[in-house]
Amino acid sequence: MLTTGFKLWFGLLVATFTAAVFVGYTTGGTETGPLTLGWKGAVGNHIAYGILMMAATTSGLLAILSQSFRDADAEAAAEILEVDIDKVPEAQISTGSSPWPLFTALGVVTMAVGLVAHPFVFGTGLIISLVIAVEWTMTNWSERATGDSEKNRELKEGLLRPIEIPVLGLVGIGVIVVAVSRILLAASVLGAVWIATVVGTIIFLTAYFISKRPSIPRGVVQGILAVGFIAVIVSGIFAAINGERDFHHVGGEHGDSHMEEDH
Amino acid sequence: MKNESTVVERIVTTTESGTLSRYWMVSALVGLLFSSVAGLLVSLERIDLSSASIFSTADDVFQFWTAHRVALVLIAVLPLMVGLATAIVPRQVGASRLVFPKMSAFSFWVWLFGALIIITGFLANGGVGTPEATSETQSVALTLVGVLLTIIGLCGASTSVLTTIVAGRVSGISLLNIPAFSWSVLVAGTMWLATLPVLAANTVLVYVDMRGRAPVNFGGEAVVWEQLSWAFTHPQVYLWVLPLLGIVAEIVSAAFKNKMSNPLLFTAIGLTGFAGFGAYAQTYFDIGTPVFEESFSIIQAFIAIPAVLLVVAFISPKIKDVKGFDKQTTIPTVLATLSIVLLLHGVVVGAVHVIGPLELATKSTVSAQIVLTLGAGVLAGMAAFSWWGELLIGKSISQRKILISGLIFHFGVGIFAVADFLVGFTGQNDFTGVSEFAAGTDNSSWVETLNIISFIGSLLILLGVIAAIATSVQNALSKTPASGNPWGADTLEWESKEKEEVA
Repeated sequence: MLTTGFKLWFGLLVATFTAAVFVGYTTGGTETGPLTLGWKGAVGNHIAYGILMMAATTSGLLAILSQSFRDADAEAAAEILEVDIDKVPEAQISTGSSPWPLFTALGVVTMAVGLVAHPFVFGTGLIISLVIAVEWTMTNWSERATGDSEKNRELKEGLLRPIEIPVLGLVGIGVIVVAVSRILLAASVLGAVWIATVVGTIIFLTAYFISKRPSIPRGVVQGILAVGFIAVIVSGIFAAINGERDFHHVGGEHGDSHMEEDH
Repeated sequence: MKNESTVVERIVTTTESGTLSRYWMVSALVGLLFSSVAGLLVSLERIDLSSASIFSTADDVFQFWTAHRVALVLIAVLPLMVGLATAIVPRQVGASRLVFPKMSAFSFWVWLFGALIIITGFLANGGVGTPEATSETQSVALTLVGVLLTIIGLCGASTSVLTTIVAGRVSGISLLNIPAFSWSVLVAGTMWLATLPVLAANTVLVYVDMRGRAPVNFGGEAVVWEQLSWAFTHPQVYLWVLPLLGIVAEIVSAAFKNKMSNPLLFTAIGLTGFAGFGAYAQTYFDIGTPVFEESFSIIQAFIAIPAVLLVVAFISPKIKDVKGFDKQTTIPTVLATLSIVLLLHGVVVGAVHVIGPLELATKSTVSAQIVLTLGAGVLAGMAAFSWWGELLIGKSISQRKILISGLIFHFGVGIFAVADFLVGFTGQNDFTGVSEFAAGTDNSSWVETLNIISFIGSLLILLGVIAAIATSVQNALSKTPASGNPWGADTLEWESKEKEEVA
């Protein structure tokens, strides 16, 4: 009997393999190249093709592992946990609201548009889709874990929070660092100093104000942070579009040291 | 537990079939508006065949001409049918919900984004390419991606509805005992799943051809439409509107308090679905010998057989029980009858236009057949809203305004189709371009008059659509609660009540 995990990984294998072949054909692969892993012809964009084929291979291996170890097999789980499966409360399948259909659609659409627009957009869509695949899978798993929805939510958060928080933190910090660097590089030397001083002072004063008033509603603090985050991102995007200020390089065209021209 | 989600959260996270159904139908109306405007502009351009009037080149006309058809099928009629099925079918088969509610939600969102991308692609001089290849290649690629996304959405939603019929219906109801609408959705959905992937494959072929290297060659940007056009013409268009047969059967049966003969009706619906399968009719690929070509035409003309069966199924019980007609059901019955009338005319025009000696296969007659058939689908959608509207929106609805919208739309379709059918006999091509040579006919007063009549038809169609949208908005804002079962119908959807959404 094919286990749930096997079906999931096998489905992912088929999807990623198909995507790899499709990417191969649409990025300059020959007729047989993408189907023969490049043995008989070119595979097109080898980075995208390689990543997707690697994902397909990994999924295939995980499918075999899942099947070998009888994952999601209630009887096998009961043997290990020494639980009488007849006494476990029946899990209820949730039919309520879910954000994952919309987010998955956004991921798929971003990938599709990226096929036409730019590989970066495609990559972004792929990452969104993969993240949502994990989140949705874990949500579905937790919904079937027990008959208690609160317990299910705790189970899911216990598994995902240790991954979500550091990853989202890193992504958030990375985005802010990139945005701030674009702003400072777009401004003049003196302007960059002023921006850093003023923004730093605003952040400090806001934090001081909030710390002195612990009774401020959580929503207000979240709102202030959200506005600040959006302001930094939008400014960073505009700064990136305007480009960096001119630099006078010292020691030749490819010298490491350089002088900046204020203008 | 208290539901703390905001309005926006509820809108974007719902998996409830009634809400999704409303999303589908509202979006379909907007798509219908886009399609009608495109059709109106093409009709306006066609009045003077001697030169370009409102467009600059033939390629510009081509963009709107194809936009009209693509939008009519993929963004208007199909989502309208899917939306109706999403709300009504689970109730009719006694299921508490759709079998795959989250997949249904995903399908809607993917379809919606795909539809927006298609519209963007057309407005950005992309669409499905142009004969002179003056379109923007990136925009054509974008449109093709949009087409693929809409197909994914429609297939997903159809799968969910079909599985609900097959696996989700209450015990005791066999497939042959389900209501006619559910049966028509079962047949239509099955055939959609057999043909939409073929359209997707065509789309992938032309996309890969445009983006790939030279050896992968299926004709390039200039023939994209040739590869996709089979999905937007006879006989495939019958398949897109197939659920209208179920809608009409339900309404007419209840109006006459007379059950139709299920075996005859179900057979007719099944045969119509079978005859409507059009994935084989791909004009881009050489269809072979003259013998095969004739067989091709004969097969297409066979659509008339189930149509005759349908007429017998619909009319025979009514003649005996005409006194039993429930006057309260007049408005939905009128709309349903008009839609079947349009469909039957579409069938006749379709059968006529494949008769070889008449040489109508590429003439304006094609346009008449498409608008008649797909127009019948839209009108059936209005009849369905008139019939099931209170179930769909949970409020009392204004029947008279729906009737007025439907009548304007019906006359628009009728006038347009008559004019295009007749002008086809003068030799006017389906796509007229911006010159008499491209149009295939001279700019005589006879042709010009028919094209003016056709334009008036397009204008009425647009007015009908605008009236339908205004009526829908007014009904949605109505504060009068639904009255339960206003028709005294005995099908299960009037009894069942969907489970409350779990927060």
